Amino acid sequence: MITASGIVKTYKQRGNMLGARAVPALRGVDFAIPRGGAVTFIGESGCGKTTLGRIVAGLETYDAGEIVIDGTPMSSLKPRHREPFFRRIQLIHQDPYSALNPTRTIHQTLAAPLALRAKQTGRDKAWMEQRAAELLALVGIDPGYVLPRYPHQLSGGMRQRVVIARALTVDPEVLVADESVSMIDVSLRLGVLSLLKDLRERLNVSVLFITHDIATARYIGGDGELYVIYRGQVVESGPTESVISGPIHPYTQSLLSAIPVLHGVERPGPERVVPTEALDESHADSGCLFARRCPFATDICTAEPPALVPDGDQAHACHHPRRRSVIPVEAVA
Amino acid sequence: MTRTSAPGVRIDDLTVVYKTPAGELPALGGVSLSLAPGTITGIVGESGSGKSTLALSLLNAVQPPGRISGGTVEIDGLGNVVDLQGEELRRARGRQVGYVFQAAQNSLNPLKTVGKQLLDLGRSHDFDDLPALLKDARALLGRMGLDGGRVLDSYQHELSGGMRQRVGIMFALVLNAHLVVLDEPTTALDMITQASILRIVRDVHHERGLTTLIITHDMGVAAEVTDSLAVMYGGRVVEHGPTTEVLGAPRHPYTQGLIRAIPRLSGDIDEARALPGRPPTLGTIPKQGCVFRERCPIRIAVCDTVDPVPVTRDARTVACHAVGQPATPVTPKEFA
Repeated sequence: MITASGIVKTYKQRGNMLGARAVPALRGVDFAIPRGGAVTFIGESGCGKTTLGRIVAGLETYDAGEIVIDGTPMSSLKPRHREPFFRRIQLIHQDPYSALNPTRTIHQTLAAPLALRAKQTGRDKAWMEQRAAELLALVGIDPGYVLPRYPHQLSGGMRQRVVIARALTVDPEVLVADESVSMIDVSLRLGVLSLLKDLRERLNVSVLFITHDIATARYIGGDGELYVIYRGQVVESGPTESVISGPIHPYTQSLLSAIPVLHGVERPGPERVVPTEALDESHADSGCLFARRCPFATDICTAEPPALVPDGDQAHACHHPRRRSVIPVEAVA
Repeated sequence: MTRTSAPGVRIDDLTVVYKTPAGELPALGGVSLSLAPGTITGIVGESGSGKSTLALSLLNAVQPPGRISGGTVEIDGLGNVVDLQGEELRRARGRQVGYVFQAAQNSLNPLKTVGKQLLDLGRSHDFDDLPALLKDARALLGRMGLDGGRVLDSYQHELSGGMRQRVGIMFALVLNAHLVVLDEPTTALDMITQASILRIVRDVHHERGLTTLIITHDMGVAAEVTDSLAVMYGGRVVEHGPTTEVLGAPRHPYTQGLIRAIPRLSGDIDEARALPGRPPTLGTIPKQGCVFRERCPIRIAVCDTVDPVPVTRDARTVACHAVGQPATPVTPKEFA
């Protein structure tokens, strides 16, 4: 069980003549990842979701807030004592083409973390070989074919599976999947997604799924929680299916409205919402962060920041909450 | 500025081969496809299906080690592009055929402002009235929701991904080309930006009376903007027809599989099914027989030996032995 509360991260931009500028990436984010559960973060590029994934995986520090793993607050520990905690959380990279060392065979790639694991658990080399083959079989590829090969000899889908197998070498409890299928061919994408879904069930690992494609979130974490993040702030959260079928915040509605409609199979939702402007980080930080782009904004929106308040099983941060029906509807033949 | 009408395009039996250590391998194996004047046609396919090669063929711009080894590409007002050479070809590119490259974000010159690059484009096409060209560009950028003056004075690093993509579209249209090819226009953009770019593509298409070709791997993108949809696999067009019909009632087993593999927002999510196997690469495209047979759920004996000929019935072209026989109708049930 991982609980994060009030995570703040600000990047300092250095070097230009006007002096340093602070770029807030996360402005106080709370969430929990239950054992075996699925948590999804969706948002546009630049909303802070990748930073969040890296913080959870221990690859990035945070400026304020706390991450508690199984009751232990991470900020109370020295970096080297944090290591065993964060080892249980593994990141699956966005791009399977750059996540593997091109000069190492898949065997070498898997051997390094397995050697560490063998040392920790007092096992021998034969166990390592067996475990490597076992893991590759688990992610659905033929060990005999893949092990002696270099990454460039494998297809994108296979590489992504190798990356997942590598993450599994240290027996993690949480997989952080950051846009992990966006670079894969369409017909293979669902295969990798169903693998992640399958791992959740078989190994009881939790998945923190970070994406801008809400439909894939629905496939993997349909039973979990969905967080909609905008400019470093959670603007809506709730059970995935509830948020998708009844979005309350206009930003969530804009994201869902932007998903292409498969004309011929479905019809556009009746109340699609289109933001009035494109994302501009330089927009004022006072009031609601989405106000400048929001078609429903009024004076209060630019004056006062809305707080995240519960509404049924969902929560939203909006002065004018209203459920809208924006997702495509099945066309009746 | 002369106003010409939207051109039609007829691609006939186009074959493109790439020279490899294993000999010349076909990236396009006899593709025939017509783009009706004034329509938006989408080509969907996975990596290695030959969709980008097909798009480049419209400019006769297939780069070595590739070459067009057979077939014709007839564009109204331009003739057979395959026969064009040198200066003629250079002038046609940009003037008659506008091209928005894959990753248009990265195809701008980082050392020159957008305006300077525009002037270069104008000079290379012998434009006398460069101020008018700048004015057109400003108007086009304004139409796409940008501050034209500011964008022309900007370097590419000063623009966001969505803005660069719009600059790419401006470059394709500013010389008044009426045939526009967009190669993966929304890859690497997020959902909201993608939706706004697609809206712009559709609006500009209608306003200027264009013939538009969109290459994409994303069925959703094609569904959103196109009138007619061609599905490519292994260097062949396996299905082509009106978009809503192809999506609503796909006939080729590959099209059916692709549509089923899309996780959707409505309906039962567990109905989404992955397509077994993986797409062929240049080296693994079967030399004879149907290119899709290894992954096909309705494979029959003849598929191993004979490449199915595209058959057109009711405005729909399908290249499949099993579907081509009216005696064995294929219903989606067989894939449940």
